[in-house]
Amino acid sequence: MTGTRPDWVHPAFRLVEGEEVFGWAEIAALPVPAGGVVHADRPSLVLAALAAAEAEGRGVLLARGTADPDGWRPGQGFTVTLESSGTTGTPKRLCHDFARLRGRLRGVADEGARWLLTYDPGAFAGLQVMLTAVAAGALLVTVPGPGAGTIAALAQAARRHAVTHVSGTPSFWRAFLMALGDTELPLAAVTLGGEAADQPLLDRLAERFPDARLRHIYASTEAGALFAVADSRAGFPADWLDEAPDGLDLRIAGGVLEVRSPRAAPGAVDPDGWLSTGDLVERQGDRVLFAGRLDGLVNVGGVKVSPEAVERRLLAVDGVADAAVLAVASPITGHLLTATIVPVPGAEEAALRAALRAATADLPPAARPRALTFADHIPLSAAGKKSRKGPR
Amino acid sequence: MIDSIFALIAEELGRIAADKGEVLPPLTADSRFLDGDLPIDSLDLATLLVVLEQRTGQDPFREGFRQFTTVGELAALYTVPA
Repeated sequence: MTGTRPDWVHPAFRLVEGEEVFGWAEIAALPVPAGGVVHADRPSLVLAALAAAEAEGRGVLLARGTADPDGWRPGQGFTVTLESSGTTGTPKRLCHDFARLRGRLRGVADEGARWLLTYDPGAFAGLQVMLTAVAAGALLVTVPGPGAGTIAALAQAARRHAVTHVSGTPSFWRAFLMALGDTELPLAAVTLGGEAADQPLLDRLAERFPDARLRHIYASTEAGALFAVADSRAGFPADWLDEAPDGLDLRIAGGVLEVRSPRAAPGAVDPDGWLSTGDLVERQGDRVLFAGRLDGLVNVGGVKVSPEAVERRLLAVDGVADAAVLAVASPITGHLLTATIVPVPGAEEAALRAALRAATADLPPAARPRALTFADHIPLSAAGKKSRKGPR
Repeated sequence: MIDSIFALIAEELGRIAADKGEVLPPLTADSRFLDGDLPIDSLDLATLLVVLEQRTGQDPFREGFRQFTTVGELAALYTVPA
């Protein structure tokens, strides 16, 4: 640790982490683990590790405890490797050039701003919020704990520090509105990202925080942050298919949104520069609206989960004759996985429930099926398939 | 008539808490769902709403979100069938 302040850190930046308050001097003095692997559970440590990696001209891995970091090597030059919160199979690691990671952040000083961190500090979105607050010389309010802390703790911290800038998933916002109750917050900026923002939620936010700038961000893993929509309406203007902002090109092919972006990771695009986002869209009048994922993944509280993969696990449990995992719409978390189980004759329900729970216990909570129902058969769609999405 | 919905909410919340190895404190109409009063998170609350729909046949959120913060406010969104 050299002790000098990196040029991406504004001198006025301060960090609240639970009961502790850090200036840059305190952050820079934190001991950083050797080898470039840092467990990304504390924002202070993540920032210290970034500065140390930059000073030493090597990579840093922000580990989230989902994979064994032993095989990882920091390499030459300052890069930041993030782990996806993968719900199926091995979590993906994506190595980012630090300059590109900061590419879309506007380095505008805003020392009066008080940001609330609602994302995991090791996640792409969490890092974006942290780096924005760091560059602005703002106060960054964070709650230690798994993820970014519980909704109750975040609401309490938001009240206590009178936060002005909050960025979170639609599922975060639905829960946050409930936890806040009637509390007044001096919000200047309300940002949504990570899953499609629905019109009822945008309407509630506009009504609840009439003075705040309301924006929803669209990003994809391969293409990075793509665009922000600021007109308080769900989806994006259909005009953008002809002329998109920020140097982007957008088109719909086979119902799927494709993008051509100057910020896309090389390698992920076709020879003409187009990249499929995997997001299904529908054009409705002057608007293009999001309509789920091509790969069948559903968003549960900001986490992409695979009903099929969960179903395969349940089908492998002793005593299960058939199982269907269904994504039902939820006013709280966007979607929720539920399961219908057909037990083999003579199976004992309590023991089977315990076995089913054990079969999904290692998945992130959002990917575990809730509300397990026992039935004597699984209803099939007209095409003879298990229907994957609930009514609505 | 909200009493029986309240009892249903208490029963299902107790089950959800027990599944996590938590014990639900005594529930009142003023208990707040996500404000630290109860040992539940937003996934648990989403689960509660799905189970309430399964057991009552009603989905008060079908036409859009309705604000509620407390157990009593949620119970008032359901009507008890005759």
